[in-house]
Amino acid sequence: MKAPVTVRSIAPDGSLLTVTASVRPRGGRADVKCSVPDAPELAGRMQEVVRLARHTESRFDSREQVVLSLDRVPAPGSRDWELACVLADRMVRGLWQPQLQLHNRVVANGWSDAWQLGRIDGHGLRQVPVGVLAGGEGGLPHLGALTGHPDPAAGVSAARAWFPLYSGGAGDRLCWVEVSVRPSPHEGEEEASITAPGVDAALQARVRAVLAGARHFDGRGMGQWRTTVRFAEERFQGGSFELALVMADRMARGREFLARGRVLATGQSSAWHAGRVDTVAGVEPKCALLAREAAPGDRILVPRAWETRLPPGWREQLRTRGASLACVDRIGII
Amino acid sequence: MLNLFKRPFRQPPPDLAGLGAAFIALPLAKGCTVPAGNVAVLANREGHTRRLSEGARVAILDGETAWCVHPGPYGCELAPFAAAPEIGLRVRFAIDAPDPREVQQRFDLFLASEGGERVALDAFVAALQAALQRELAQGNLELPPCTSFEEWNAFRTGFNQLLYTRFGVMVDDCVPVDLGASRDLAALLAARLAAQPILQATSQPALQPVSPSASAAQQDAFDAVREDAKALRRLFLELPGVMCGLRLAVLPADCAIFRRHQELLRRLDLVSLSVGTMPALALAAPGQPLAAAEQRRRARHSVRAVAALDEAWALLARMKLAGAPMLPVLLEEADRIAANLACDCAARREPGRESAMGDAA
Repeated sequence: MKAPVTVRSIAPDGSLLTVTASVRPRGGRADVKCSVPDAPELAGRMQEVVRLARHTESRFDSREQVVLSLDRVPAPGSRDWELACVLADRMVRGLWQPQLQLHNRVVANGWSDAWQLGRIDGHGLRQVPVGVLAGGEGGLPHLGALTGHPDPAAGVSAARAWFPLYSGGAGDRLCWVEVSVRPSPHEGEEEASITAPGVDAALQARVRAVLAGARHFDGRGMGQWRTTVRFAEERFQGGSFELALVMADRMARGREFLARGRVLATGQSSAWHAGRVDTVAGVEPKCALLAREAAPGDRILVPRAWETRLPPGWREQLRTRGASLACVDRIGII
Repeated sequence: MLNLFKRPFRQPPPDLAGLGAAFIALPLAKGCTVPAGNVAVLANREGHTRRLSEGARVAILDGETAWCVHPGPYGCELAPFAAAPEIGLRVRFAIDAPDPREVQQRFDLFLASEGGERVALDAFVAALQAALQRELAQGNLELPPCTSFEEWNAFRTGFNQLLYTRFGVMVDDCVPVDLGASRDLAALLAARLAAQPILQATSQPALQPVSPSASAAQQDAFDAVREDAKALRRLFLELPGVMCGLRLAVLPADCAIFRRHQELLRRLDLVSLSVGTMPALALAAPGQPLAAAEQRRRARHSVRAVAALDEAWALLARMKLAGAPMLPVLLEEADRIAANLACDCAARREPGRESAMGDAA
């Protein structure tokens, strides 16, 4: 029996709504049971939302019933609780797990008119507090973005990859980098078509050089795209984000096989135009962080030079968590 | 006897244009001979099949359908991930000589249960691609970014076995390829952006959520009668095959595994019985017609049961490859699939509550 899961959502008046989800054997009952105190019609909508969102999953299990409940009636007309319900439904069945520091403290706001496509249309917050998952443009535009996958139905392709940020102890965490590409043929320098809003000039120059080099190695993608790069956190040092950036770019341009979960990568290169991956510092703390954060289906990419220096038992630890590891010295097909 | 002289003694050669290129199997008429290099497969309504080799005269028994099958090889390009159109697999496959150890060749069963009048290559390739994509999405096959040689070999083994177990074709060759030249994502996205209506900048949700079931056009596109008949035919013919495979694939090591295996087969037997006695789509009870919406619901449950059947074939392929340590995991998966089959078959029988799962229990 899995433990119940709670997800919160910010109500328009600033208080928190709580969605509680638990799972139990189905026993001939409905696949989703929802309850909202004093509002049965809202429970009907809740059930519809969860069932529609399940259309984007590939694995169907009729043996369990998920019981979802809202702790009180949301404000009339507010639909921001929908995303929280969908996430609670996925978390309680183990299909998605948030990063460690967010465990059971997930706050999510978002609504959609097309949950069956996995699309999230927006959120009703005036300002999104730090750490809150907000649906829609700029936040979480579709459910696949939870694992960094591009939306197969959108006109702009965006993909995320994660890299370990090591700050010597308690502040260690994974940080994502998102590359979104929009078709726009251009003649000029590839670097001029790549922007990274919000980062300082040095990092922006580095991002441009890395992407231009990696696309040169790829052979396609030069002069085709207008690219925007975003980081979860803009202030950090070092170049170990480069491999994650390159992988996100390749996934966004549809030129890389996809992992079932996230791509967690660390590595840099002085020769992206040759597709080479060089080593980075910090084997032990990064390995420890990756082992803590790895979720089922994740793909972990580390430089080939780490292969002999990996902590003993680390590969097995990852395998038992359902993640897979590759030590790479170059990018591209095999 | 009166039309004895109307029919020429020797049939004209059958029209087999495109066989081996655009078509894998084409219908054969009674009395013609099987052309050189091809085989004929005959199947009757109960799913019994037989093969005739080249040069044989096609004598069709009552109720049989005959296809002329070109063994190939055929080439195709598969996209393993819908979201990554520019990277794919170039696959060459062939329909092999019959395996004498099998009672019924899997490809013959494929023809009997889902062959239709003719089997076009592009429809067949689409089915291969769907099977591959589902296995990858469920994590039963792995093709992650920066695939290593060992992972690629494991993928190839699983992929070959999947196609052999599910479709009865042998994979000759499979290499990852760059499909950028033929499937340009930039052009695809540009077309998609051009087709999108200009969205108004609404950041507020509508008070009443848009119900997706309201779109009548989508409902009409689903031909309930045809889909239901196809799905039930597949379930009826293929469930015995799956069960036979499951029975042979598991060699129980201890009593606990034996019990689970036995229980699984018993439940699949019940599903098979349920499929064999499935009520007609259009009738709620003898003489009582069923509403169109209910018929659509029933047909959708049949289609979902067929999806579970496909998963069962894929599981059978994994069982043939896996060793004894994996067996509990695979039996757990089989338990899930059997539960899904039973659940959807029961919902298909349901005459007409508003929705079989709709009541909040």
